[in-house]
Amino acid sequence: MGAHPIHNLALASFYLLLIIPLGIFLWFRIPLLNRTLVAILRMTVQLLFVGLYLQVVFRWNNPWINGLWLMVMVIVADLSIIRGSDLKARKFLLPLFGALVVGTAIPLFAFLGPLLKRPTLMDAQYVIPIGGMILGNCLRADLIGIRTFYSTLQKKEKPFLLSLAQGARLHEAIRPYLREACQSALAPTVATIATIGLVALPGMMTGVILGGTNPATAIKYQIAIMIAIFTGTAITVVLAVLMSIKVSFTPFGTLDFEAFRTPRMK
Amino acid sequence: MTKVHPAIEISRLTVRFGEKVPFQDLSLTVERGERVVLTGESGRGKSTLLKCLMGFTLPESGEILIEGTPLNGETVWRLRSRVAYVPQEPELGGGTLRQWFEQPFTFKANSHLKGNLSRLPALLERLSLNPSLLDAGSDTLSGGEKQRAALLAALLLDRGILFLDEPTSALDPKNSLAVVNLLKNRKGLTLLGISHDPNFLTLADRVIPFPVKGP
Repeated sequence: MGAHPIHNLALASFYLLLIIPLGIFLWFRIPLLNRTLVAILRMTVQLLFVGLYLQVVFRWNNPWINGLWLMVMVIVADLSIIRGSDLKARKFLLPLFGALVVGTAIPLFAFLGPLLKRPTLMDAQYVIPIGGMILGNCLRADLIGIRTFYSTLQKKEKPFLLSLAQGARLHEAIRPYLREACQSALAPTVATIATIGLVALPGMMTGVILGGTNPATAIKYQIAIMIAIFTGTAITVVLAVLMSIKVSFTPFGTLDFEAFRTPRMK
Repeated sequence: MTKVHPAIEISRLTVRFGEKVPFQDLSLTVERGERVVLTGESGRGKSTLLKCLMGFTLPESGEILIEGTPLNGETVWRLRSRVAYVPQEPELGGGTLRQWFEQPFTFKANSHLKGNLSRLPALLERLSLNPSLLDAGSDTLSGGEKQRAALLAALLLDRGILFLDEPTSALDPKNSLAVVNLLKNRKGLTLLGISHDPNFLTLADRVIPFPVKGP
């Protein structure tokens, strides 16, 4: 048994529901109308494209193509982080890519291997949706983490330099800022874990139930994905900071402002 | 016989920030155990010079030697454990003052000096800092308290060379004198400071108007 199919015409009619929020925007002159319309259009086109593409990928179910698709997802995530922060792509693309790959791969393959015991780890039906869920969360956490790390470091440069002056090595001097970055990046996931099921039924659980699985199994999937997401985000944030410091500091341990898009005047 | 190098040798140092050149071709030597104080109007690059000596500002050209070792990206980590630096307006970060004093001793370079913390109560008293401040948030301290705390943290590290950027600028004459007396008692300490405080200038073996002229 799968999810009940949605007919194209029915889905097209469902867009009419948007009249309510768009009407609210117009009535109260909330300046979100154009952005919302563009966002909805983009969502529709992107999902149509991904849906068509995934149909092909699922039909072929070739481990190499699945792996390639995962890599494309990681590269897009990597570029989104760079775009959403003040970092220069030339310097940060590779370290952030490495952090995302490791942070996603460890929980993903622990999920597919020891937990689900899939005969092939690169089975499209599992590796792409689960990989996507982990990666999406890693992206969000990484963006917050890396932004917090570098903005706090710039804001609190004086105590950082004083630590260096007192003999700290770079990894010792950045520790308070790494702590703050992890706290900001992981706190939303911790809050989600704490309230899951009470505030809202999570996406994966809903999907599995709609797919026809009984709720007991759906819960197990949800618990596993939350553990995977939390592990993945923690690994990604710490690795992103530790791998990026190699390109964002001078050999003297001070921030290299050439690595940022808006270099500060000294 | 091994040659004893001066504590600090600066030769032909030029710093440039875009169009701005705080100083050019600056040369200065400070012998071991010597106390040198730089004076001169603000904005001429005195603080920048101390930042260069710490490796926080990179000069366009010139050379810095600390006890005969050239300061560069490789040696700076070792050299920072031979010097101490107190900025003009120290920011101590979050946490309590006690945690802030303890923090440097968690660094590998200072772990062998942890016993020095036992000297803290006596040093606090010397600089009229109430021991109850140790449990206060370090960001609640006044500018003068922060300055004295930063100086004490530097002294606890037992470095041979001390760089002080206006260490008494936020202190009243009585407290500034207490700082001077404390530093006077440190035999063999090399000091390169910046100050306009008449009390502090009495500490100096040499007072040099900035920018430094000639070698």
